[in-house]
Amino acid sequence: MNVLEIQGLTKKFGDFLAVDNMNLKVREGEIFGFLGANGAGKSTTINMISSLLRITKGEIRLLGKDIAKHNRFAKMNIGIVPQDLAIYEEMTAYENVHFFAGLYGLRGAELKERTFEALEFVGLAERAKEYPKNFSGGMKRRLNIACAIAHKPKLIIMDEPTVGIDPQSRNYILNSVKKLNQMGCTIIYTSHYMEEVEEICTRIAIVDHGKIIAEGTKEQLKSTITDTKDIRIGYKSDQPVNLKPIRLIQGVERVMAQDQMLLIHSKAEVNNLNAIIQQLIQDEVEIRSLDEQAPNLETVFLTLTGRNLRD
Amino acid sequence: MNILQIARKELLIHLRDKRTFIFMIAFPLVLILILGTALTNAFSSNLAVGDMNLLYKDNIRNGQLASSWGQFVQASQQEGITFTKAAADEDGLKTVQDDQYTAYAELSDDGIKYYGSPKNAIENNIIQGMLTVYADKFNLAAAAFKADPSPSSVANITVASGSFGNFIQETSLNKDKQPGSIDYYAISMTTMIAFYACLPASALIQNERTRRTAIRLGASPVSKIEIFTGKVLATTIVNFLCIAIVVLFSRLAFKAEWGSHYISIALVLLTEVVLAVSFGLACSYLFNGGAARAFIFIVIQVISFVGGAYFPIDITSGVVHQISQLSPLRWANQGLTQIIYSDQASAAIPVIVLNVGLSAALLIVSGLYMRKREGL
Ligand SMILES: Nc1ncnc2c1ncn2[C@@H]1O[C@H](COP(=O)(O)OP(=O)(O)OP(=O)(O)O)[C@@H](O)[C@H]1O
Ligand SMILES: [Mg+2]
Repeated sequence: MNVLEIQGLTKKFGDFLAVDNMNLKVREGEIFGFLGANGAGKSTTINMISSLLRITKGEIRLLGKDIAKHNRFAKMNIGIVPQDLAIYEEMTAYENVHFFAGLYGLRGAELKERTFEALEFVGLAERAKEYPKNFSGGMKRRLNIACAIAHKPKLIIMDEPTVGIDPQSRNYILNSVKKLNQMGCTIIYTSHYMEEVEEICTRIAIVDHGKIIAEGTKEQLKSTITDTKDIRIGYKSDQPVNLKPIRLIQGVERVMAQDQMLLIHSKAEVNNLNAIIQQLIQDEVEIRSLDEQAPNLETVFLTLTGRNLRD
Repeated sequence: MNILQIARKELLIHLRDKRTFIFMIAFPLVLILILGTALTNAFSSNLAVGDMNLLYKDNIRNGQLASSWGQFVQASQQEGITFTKAAADEDGLKTVQDDQYTAYAELSDDGIKYYGSPKNAIENNIIQGMLTVYADKFNLAAAAFKADPSPSSVANITVASGSFGNFIQETSLNKDKQPGSIDYYAISMTTMIAFYACLPASALIQNERTRRTAIRLGASPVSKIEIFTGKVLATTIVNFLCIAIVVLFSRLAFKAEWGSHYISIALVLLTEVVLAVSFGLACSYLFNGGAARAFIFIVIQVISFVGGAYFPIDITSGVVHQISQLSPLRWANQGLTQIIYSDQASAAIPVIVLNVGLSAALLIVSGLYMRKREGL
């Protein structure tokens, strides 16, 4: 079953087309990765799903129901973790979760129980009585998640939930996402960190200029790019390597030098390894290591959008 | 009822903000104390009323009228006004101009001609007021001397209502029941600080936006109107509580006069807070971000000044006068003064009606803007 179906979704800000005729289906039980560079239209799409922005054109169906017609139903079944922290610093962790969960019709003992559950889930139960101003960045992020899940939504949308936190908190959050998923939640996950998306997402959509330009599992996405390969050459040289002659070698599309490492993006069908090595030897570059890979998600993204995921 | 959830949260946040209390309670109390003690002399009312001597010429032929005049003179004399009957050839106007009498009146069956000394405005006003009631009671037409050079002292004694026996007592007794400086500032600071409720109100929605919690509120199944109502409710309650504390404290600690019509006073102040909150909200929708705050600050300063918050303003004509009539503080202050010093609980009604009407208009404007806007 599809938890979310988006059809012909369009959002205009004045004349600016932020989301352009988007189509998308998210199935029950998925952790769906939403990848896109800055300004691609991820947050705008998410905000329309969660009824924060009006839909210019198109339709969003949640659990089979049009959210414009069944707005309350849709809102009850969605939990949103906003890109920026959205908590009250003047209220304790407990009060924050309690307040937001209370907006979903929970009352009394049940509300209390759910509040504790959510805090427990993100590992903040012990600090429930504390104010977020004493929390680390990672703890605030976790509280941000707790506020979104206490009402047990079917679909949880996380807009960059791990931005700017330490690796430990990030792992904690990634594990929480997996656990939520195992508990039956469908999750839409946006991130600028390719490794995260590779690690947890079952399916991925790549958004660019408000459109979905590719969609599928990691393997499917990588296999769309069968015609290129990445060559990495570790070297030692005091002089900067002259990249120009390498660029001229047949099949080479892009060359970058970084930390004594050459990254060469090349057509797959051309065997140009010999030519590249010869050139380096001629330039008196000492080769330390050599490695040829099929493209990873980062390459897929770069090839499809012409942009880096992070600027 | 999600309104209550919203209001509860809002109360929690307000009540934890110490600034609210310092600003809304300590600040006005300190001002009442400072201004009230520093400006004591400016308000000293016992010195103000001096001797009241009325010279009158009696041309009354009607017997009934003559006897009522007799009663009036008697009643008034008990309240400290001296009546002197003029000799037939005495020039009354000149005696007043020479400062021998406070005022001069000519009585006839047709009415009263009155001339008061411009030098003794207060005494003059009291006598004139009493004569007005007398004239009204007996349907006398009243006129003033055309010959009088100073327009401010010419009285057109026109119709007022009420029994003169009562009025005589009140008018003359009122000279003792005048606000002293502490009393004055207790009222004016309270109404001023009540209006400051528009500042937190202007930040109600903006705060949710800057905190990003507007996203969560917008995504939750709570309507904008519930959020809006809950917030207005909570802000009104908190600010009204602060005001109530200021009133009680000024009464108990500073012995400020607040009269005995508590309900009328509470309603005037409550509706003023509602008006301030509505005004603040409307501003936050009409202006962007910092502009709303700046605008509100200017408005508060102007209406405080012309409303007589810092010192009594007695301008009776011109632009400043007209602006002062638009100050919600002015009508609140006047209303409260009447409730307290004229013992008229009903003086609250026009103030309440005005406050509630304007609030409703401002809330409707805010509501329309709110609906038009995407998100919160
Ligand atoms: N309220 C708005 N008014 C006008 N333009 C907007 C508005 N919100 C977003 N945009 C524009 O729409 C485009 C998409 O923005 P959006 O926030 O959806 O991007 P994003 O993919 O979430 O980017 P990021 O990774 O930086 O969060 C951007 O160009 C942005 O400037
Ligand atoms: Mg975004």
